[in-house]
Amino acid sequence: MDLAAQLPLLLGLAWLTPLASFVAILFFGPRMGPHGRNAAWVATAAIVTSLVLSLAAFVVWLGVHPVQAVAHGEHGVVHAAADAHAGDGGHASGSHDADGHLAADHGHGDPHQPAAYSGNWYTLYRGGRLELSIGYYIDALTVLMFVVVTFIATCIHVYASGYMHDELHEVTDHEVRLADGHHLHRPGRFPRFFQALSLFCFSMMGIVIAGNLAMVFIFWELVGICSWFLIGFYYERKSASTAANKAFIVNRVGDFGMLIGLMALWGALGTLSFADSTTVGPDGNEQVRPGLFSQFRPSEAGHVLQVPDGMVAAAAAAEVATISADHASSPADAASQIAARIPDWRGMGMGRWLLFIAGVGIFCGCVGKSAQFPLFVWLPDAMEGPTPVSALVHSATMVAAGVYLVGRFYPVLSPDVLLVIAYVGAITLFIAATIALVANDIKRVLAYSTVSQLGYMMLALGVGGWVAGLFHLVTHAFFKSLLFLCSGSVIHACHTNDMRKMGGLAKVMPWTAFTMLVGCLAIIGAGVPFVIGLSGYYSKDSILAQALSFANANPGHRVLSWAVAGGAFLTAFYMFRLWFMTFAGQPRDHHVHEHAHESPNVMVTPLVVLAVLAVVAGWTLPGGLGIANLLEQARPAGTAAGLEGGFVFGQSLLFPAEHESHEGAVHITATLTAFGTAMAGVLLAALLYLWKLISPDLIASIFRPIYAFLAGRWYFDELYDLVFVKPTLGVANLASGVDRGLIDRLIDGIAWAARGLAGIDAWIDRTLVDGLVNATANATWNAGLKLRGLQTGRLRQYVMFIVLGTVALFVLAAAAFRSAGTG
Amino acid sequence: MDLGTLVSGTLTDTIDVSVPLFRTELAIAASVVIVLLCRMLPVLRWLDSGVVALGGAAFALAYAWADFQAAGSVRQELFGGLLVFDSLTASIRVLLAGFLVLYLMFTRISGIPDREDAADFSALVLGATLGMCLMASANHLLMVFMAVEMASVPSYALAGFLKGRKASSEAALKYAVYGAGAAGIMLYGISLLGGVTGSFHLPTMAVEIGRIVAAGGDGKVLVLVLGGLMLAVGLAFKLSAVPFHFWCPDVFEGAAAEVGAFLSVASKAAAVALTLRIVFGLGTLPAGVVDADAAAGLADARHFMVYLVGGMAAITCTLGNLAAYGQTNMKRLLAYSTVAHAGYLMMGVAAATALAGVHPANARQAVSALTFYLATYLFMNLAAFAIVAVLRNRLRSEEIAAYAGLVRTSPGMVVAAAVVLVSLIGLPPLAGFIAKFLVFSSLVQAITLTSERPLMLVLLVIGGINTVISLFYYLRVLKVMTFDPPAEDHYVEPPSAVSLAGWYITAVAVPVVVFGILWSGLYDFAQMAGTFAS
Repeated sequence: MDLAAQLPLLLGLAWLTPLASFVAILFFGPRMGPHGRNAAWVATAAIVTSLVLSLAAFVVWLGVHPVQAVAHGEHGVVHAAADAHAGDGGHASGSHDADGHLAADHGHGDPHQPAAYSGNWYTLYRGGRLELSIGYYIDALTVLMFVVVTFIATCIHVYASGYMHDELHEVTDHEVRLADGHHLHRPGRFPRFFQALSLFCFSMMGIVIAGNLAMVFIFWELVGICSWFLIGFYYERKSASTAANKAFIVNRVGDFGMLIGLMALWGALGTLSFADSTTVGPDGNEQVRPGLFSQFRPSEAGHVLQVPDGMVAAAAAAEVATISADHASSPADAASQIAARIPDWRGMGMGRWLLFIAGVGIFCGCVGKSAQFPLFVWLPDAMEGPTPVSALVHSATMVAAGVYLVGRFYPVLSPDVLLVIAYVGAITLFIAATIALVANDIKRVLAYSTVSQLGYMMLALGVGGWVAGLFHLVTHAFFKSLLFLCSGSVIHACHTNDMRKMGGLAKVMPWTAFTMLVGCLAIIGAGVPFVIGLSGYYSKDSILAQALSFANANPGHRVLSWAVAGGAFLTAFYMFRLWFMTFAGQPRDHHVHEHAHESPNVMVTPLVVLAVLAVVAGWTLPGGLGIANLLEQARPAGTAAGLEGGFVFGQSLLFPAEHESHEGAVHITATLTAFGTAMAGVLLAALLYLWKLISPDLIASIFRPIYAFLAGRWYFDELYDLVFVKPTLGVANLASGVDRGLIDRLIDGIAWAARGLAGIDAWIDRTLVDGLVNATANATWNAGLKLRGLQTGRLRQYVMFIVLGTVALFVLAAAAFRSAGTG
Repeated sequence: MDLGTLVSGTLTDTIDVSVPLFRTELAIAASVVIVLLCRMLPVLRWLDSGVVALGGAAFALAYAWADFQAAGSVRQELFGGLLVFDSLTASIRVLLAGFLVLYLMFTRISGIPDREDAADFSALVLGATLGMCLMASANHLLMVFMAVEMASVPSYALAGFLKGRKASSEAALKYAVYGAGAAGIMLYGISLLGGVTGSFHLPTMAVEIGRIVAAGGDGKVLVLVLGGLMLAVGLAFKLSAVPFHFWCPDVFEGAAAEVGAFLSVASKAAAVALTLRIVFGLGTLPAGVVDADAAAGLADARHFMVYLVGGMAAITCTLGNLAAYGQTNMKRLLAYSTVAHAGYLMMGVAAATALAGVHPANARQAVSALTFYLATYLFMNLAAFAIVAVLRNRLRSEEIAAYAGLVRTSPGMVVAAAVVLVSLIGLPPLAGFIAKFLVFSSLVQAITLTSERPLMLVLLVIGGINTVISLFYYLRVLKVMTFDPPAEDHYVEPPSAVSLAGWYITAVAVPVVVFGILWSGLYDFAQMAGTFAS
């Protein structure tokens, strides 16, 4: 049996199981046990099934595509093997020995292509060039993402079944005060929470498995709506409903760009499918429709990025029209002429802008979803949702979808787009980290930390670190969900988010404190340099190394590597500020401290499981099994060699091949820099918050303007309010004024007039018609015999009408004939 | 020709040609006899009259379907030209027989009539249906009159079937007297027409009318007009067209909902078929007759008929919909609804008439649209009255106000009601929309292709406006069912989750949805019906 052929089936089932759970809870949720208690079991059972299926797929994958002990990514044994690859070493040429390298990596099949399976399950529509289908594209990245998503989701389902137990009975929401001064009482919404969670898991896996961009977009929007449901779970709270709307609207801004990108691709290339697809044409022959990847990086051109034919032809529309007009009689001639001219046009640089627009457009969607500058403002507010949601949706998976899409879409991105991505990532990373320094809400610190880490991933992808960025995505998913669940545990115990009221909790909540410490160490990338470390140590090092490598190759963009190093320092500072303020020292608020307690086992168990993974996720087992090496299998064709050139901005960029960053000087510099900055950050945090040698208040008062600027979150919300929200509301008010004052008046007027007319009509009916009828009836009644029985009068009337009707018809017909005859 | 040839010719015609194509009616007639025998002979007491009736109806449906399959473009006169068998006869018979089967099941489920009277009820229903089948196939004015009376007289008795209820008896009396008046006028009209043309055989009359109109001048045309109008009065009574609709609300309100279902569906289908029969019979030259004068005269005659039917359609539709507004009784509301739908159907008849003889292919389309409309109307109205009947059994009321808050106790019923009422409005994706769309599109064809453009344009606009008007009163019922709070003092016995009545309503309402989406099958059926017109 061909095991690989089972992959679509396994992952497809894993994908659909949460949908079944969603449907079941949607229809029968409230009837599942008392207050829908069993909905949690249904949802958890579904996600565990998905996890099992995903793991099975993972095992199948490893069986078919054994992970090679590739040198880079494994720090301990890095040099010997890496040197073998770095034979010519001259990365300035950009013509690295890509073929041999890839062949050595994968050791099977077509050396040019990463191992991937693609196909269509169901075609929604096919007509002309348009084809919309539900399809799959499965490579190592897909399988890995499935495992990560289902694993974290399983932990969070278990955790949430404990965390959400308040929703099992009547809830008094102390944050909502009704008009009569009481707090809001409402029925619990336990099943609804798990219903949304199931739908989210389905949607998220839909993005990951999607075989074309249209399907990605569908599920992209579905996770958006799930996010809206979940942020607004406590929708009676104004802050929650506002945050939900804000998240949704801000994401639409990004999606607008994404739609433009989709249209650019679609209009020029006529396909949104990632991989090539084979269809049987009407003549019975198999036709290969090239997908996006092979159009941008055709195998004939050695998988080197080029502007695809479709985009060149679209840019050269004027010339194409001329040629078509010249050969109007024979379209085939025109087509061959155009095909012959395309290389010339490509040489003239045609279509590069289209390529740029497509890439930046798709990236816009990722900016919205992954909360990058300038659309990051929604994510901190999204923490209004329940904490398990923050952990799953707003840190580990959904917000990573943007990074995932950039990674998936990577072969199509031109150097200029990558540069844009890198800078957006760097700016995001810096801004978010600075705001996190002064935030006092424990979840907001983590939210800004998430934004900052997403910036890291984007930056990594932008400087050519494909594996580095996605590696960080995976490790971050583990430790950030851990951190969020820990914060949830703390909030559960303290009933407050304010870190200034906490302190000294390590004694009462040892498990939470310890697991959170693991999470903090993982996120700052702690480890023993060159020996071993937590998961963040590996992923962050590889990002920094790639950034340094890029900076070396492009000295003009050195600031990017500084951003990474500075970010590492800030990360270490604010994470340990958080930990020290929460768990160390003396309790600041005794009322809070007295009520604090360790969370129930159902909540602690996921913490421990995730903590273990936060430690080991970055490790590479003997034999080469590790996430980095697994990702290396999925590396898009042609990207291992690095990338050179500049399509639009005029300057030439050089993206060094990623494995070069694992070598020698760059790697050592990176490791030491990362270690040094992180330790400095921890040390500073300890000085301020653990040993209290320096008063934070003193520093705040010395740097008051800067502190206020950061505490005000760079005033982005205020700026957007002024620039976008206020004018929009102004226009809306104007429009509604016009609507109410003018249009409604007009319609009211028409309605009033119609009513008046109807009134006249009714009057005629009542007085004239009814009067006539009544008069006739009365006359008949009075004049006629007084027969017995009810209503005989009316019956007479009826019969009378037969005669009257006939006569009337005849009179009308006769008149009509008379006039027709004379006229 | 001697007597022997005549007799043997008649025998051949009757036994070899007519009877085989008449077996649907014969099956119905036979079941009437058996049902009546059951009631009279003690030997046959053990037979359940309902089952017998249902069996007879099933046979009738099987024969009708077989005849329909074989019909094609055949036109066969039966019984010496009294009846005609063609695609219209065949398809209307399928509809009627199919309705009969569903209807007999329905009356068994809803419990009216009770067991005691079931035999009489079945006999009356079967007898009326027999008359309706004849209406659909009449080819001779005497047959027209006979058929109308055959359909009407049992209906009068049906209207008064709830013997204990005064309203029911009153309804029957009104219906009977009104019907008698209309029949009298129609008979007078028939005699006038027969007198002028010298025949009652429709194709023969058509040629003669064409010649008379073409010759013009003297009073003969006026007599023809008068006769035609009087004939139209009889048809208008059966169609419940304004201003001959006065019986309709009173009868529907007074009689049981079951009777309303019968009158609104079967009677209407037969009346539309008969109207088509007469306008096509009197308005077009029979096949094979070539006479330029007569053809020109018939064009004028058609013109007259188009204006008569079209004008009546516009008034009927508008008045029916407007009058439905203030109704508080569900059956009365549905009565006005049937008046309004008669208006839409007559618009289609007007369009078909306008197209007949000029653009046969389009006339065929128009007739098909009408058949489609009738078929969907069968399911919609049967379901509507079934809902009324089932709710009456439960709530002991047919007032709309009594339905308040129904959605809380029986959501399934409200969903079915929503499907049916929205389909009656004619909104997508339900069958009513397709039906209305087809009829309106035949109006559009008449606008583009015929000289009756102004009238057709007016009809189209009126039809559109009426659809909007009808929205409000149908949806008001749904609003009461869903949004209004239930009356607190009114005890409603909780419905059983699965009931035979529920299944029945579901079974009748589902086609309304299905034919709204997968309508091509029904459309093919309707296409066949129009074959005779081309």
